Amino acid sequence: MKTTFIAFFILVVFFFGCSREESQLTFSVGGAPNEVDYWETIIHEFEEAENVQVNFLRQPTDTDQRRQGLVIPLKAEEDDPDVFLMDVAWVGQFSTSGWLEPLDAFIRKDGFQIDAMFQPVIEQVDRSPNGIIALPVYLDCGILYYRKDLLEKYGFDIPETWNDLVKASEKIQGGERGNNPMFFGFVWQGAQYEGLMCNFLEYISSNGGSLGDLGKKDITIDRKENEEALTFMRDLIHTYKISPPNTFTEMKEEEVRHAFQSGNALFERNWPYAWKLHQSDASPVKDKVGIAILPAFAGCRSAAALGGWHIGISRFSDHKEEAWKLVSFIMSYDAQKKLALNLGWNPGRKDIYQDAEVINKKPEMDVLKSALAYAVARPNVPYYSLMSSILQRYIHAAISGEMAPGEALSGAQGDIQKTIDSYHE
Amino acid sequence: MNRNFKNLVIFLGPLVVFVSLFALIPVIGTFWISLFRDVSFLPEKKFVGISQYVKLFRDGQTLRSIWFTFIFALTSVFLEMLLGVMAALVINENFRGRNVLRGMILIPWAIPSVVGARIWQLIFRYDYGAANYVLRGVFGIHINWTATPLGALCVLVVADAWRTTSFVAIIILAGLQTVPEELYEQGRIDGADLFKRFFHITLPAIKPVVIVALLFRTIDALRVFDILYIITNGGPSGATTSLSLYSYQYFLMGDFGYGSAVSVILFLMAFLCSLFYLKAGRFREAVS
Repeated sequence: MKTTFIAFFILVVFFFGCSREESQLTFSVGGAPNEVDYWETIIHEFEEAENVQVNFLRQPTDTDQRRQGLVIPLKAEEDDPDVFLMDVAWVGQFSTSGWLEPLDAFIRKDGFQIDAMFQPVIEQVDRSPNGIIALPVYLDCGILYYRKDLLEKYGFDIPETWNDLVKASEKIQGGERGNNPMFFGFVWQGAQYEGLMCNFLEYISSNGGSLGDLGKKDITIDRKENEEALTFMRDLIHTYKISPPNTFTEMKEEEVRHAFQSGNALFERNWPYAWKLHQSDASPVKDKVGIAILPAFAGCRSAAALGGWHIGISRFSDHKEEAWKLVSFIMSYDAQKKLALNLGWNPGRKDIYQDAEVINKKPEMDVLKSALAYAVARPNVPYYSLMSSILQRYIHAAISGEMAPGEALSGAQGDIQKTIDSYHE
Repeated sequence: MNRNFKNLVIFLGPLVVFVSLFALIPVIGTFWISLFRDVSFLPEKKFVGISQYVKLFRDGQTLRSIWFTFIFALTSVFLEMLLGVMAALVINENFRGRNVLRGMILIPWAIPSVVGARIWQLIFRYDYGAANYVLRGVFGIHINWTATPLGALCVLVVADAWRTTSFVAIIILAGLQTVPEELYEQGRIDGADLFKRFFHITLPAIKPVVIVALLFRTIDALRVFDILYIITNGGPSGATTSLSLYSYQYFLMGDFGYGSAVSVILFLMAFLCSLFYLKAGRFREAVS
């Protein structure tokens, strides 16, 4: 009898003893270790200013793992986390899943300056049929890094078209191979992951192509402009041979950055974060780097894939008032400026780009601001991830030379259409 | 009777509770979810019966994933068993430094598989990987290892075999130590050579242990996720997407029903394999 009682007691403690005594505001955020550390500082300032306790949930660096850490509690309608950051590519899925709290009431009540944000970003990403459901903490977009010294040495200008880029690359790669057998003209992200989608989007958009009018359920991936762009991507590796053979097996952001930073490339397509690292004291290419907007195909407009992270409040949160306080604190001029100065981020607020101190410390902000004018968002539809996963496979098949570009695009379109149709049966 | 029943409850009870709590309920739950169209961004959950399974067998990538998972398990388990038995035979002999070697053979198994995968990824890197460094030095060529489906499969099998051969070796070693030395003496007197002794004495004696090792390894290999998540992320073009990676991808996209259906297929594959081994190995007789 006694043992039974003890066993029962242990079970009770085991299952119920771990429930929280008091709940508090929970904020999930991940990223590179220095970023997470800086978030902690910001949170600390918030706690002092507003007298609200925040439970800070550290997430990993990897984007997919960060997403997984949010999908599980949200799917289970847990009341934590209350506030979290989302990659721009998931906002559509999260919002249509009904996981995000509309912010309009808070914005109105608080007199929050929504006009200070980049309007195209708000319209393309953060506005849903239920109103505004997220706010841009920082923005990213694809840009072109080039070696100033090499372009000068061989007498080339900054390329405006992809054709210019190929010409300069072929010439300079030929010249530089003598002293550096690993030298390549152009490095970009071609591994099978979300980064490939961003690159693909830039090539097709800078050739006047698109994935169709997805809001109207019109998916037209298999079109002439896209096929030309995809063929060009493949040719960069296999025909012009100005991009390394491991472009499609290994090249993600960091591999690309390392190749360029160690002096093995003339051009690089990357996100703005690479600038600070290229210009660091240990970098062999310090002061030899320039940035520009990405080239376009002749007669078309340049395109820069929009990246970045947006902040939102869980619809299941049990601390919505405090959650909004935290959101508006992070989106305030001061906090955004601090993030820009300390982490080198590009704020979602336009007014920071005019701040004298910021311009002084980050002169490259000017190019970034102009590049943001060419920003192309990934389709803001709930099934985007699904689409991306299927497309990645087919694009990858094309650039690895396994499938003809036209065949790959029609295959992708067929598969995506089939899956989406099955959701509406 | 009463006493017997009490013993049964005391000894089997905790096992039954744990197995149901951590294995049976999740498996049944996954099967249950797979009968629904449970997509996070669609308005409601809808019961669709087995139609996800029908869709599954019309989905080219699923079939490719089943095939890849099967081929990967087959080749990697074969290689691991071969190397594992050889390694076990070596460290079962008496020689100087045997204990050091026994300890060392466990190192790959002690390394977390993610770290092991990262090591192999760096070895097979195109630009500064060790494999290409050697090739460049000896033959003056370098290979983009993971660029073709076959190359990627080979890299993954090598990475998996490196890590788990030691696991097989240790299990087999435990079996070898139960084989009485007299049997070998007798074999030698009867004039059986090394191979005859292995096939007629050693192998039958360690068969139950081999079956256990096979079972563990096959189930593990079918569930492979970490090494290919790190090394190829399912590429090139989905050629090395195992069923667990495929189901994970659907989970991330918010399609829980379809992802669960893929998991159920994986479970069935592992389950059938286990049944086959236990039957084919006449495990019950061998153990008793």
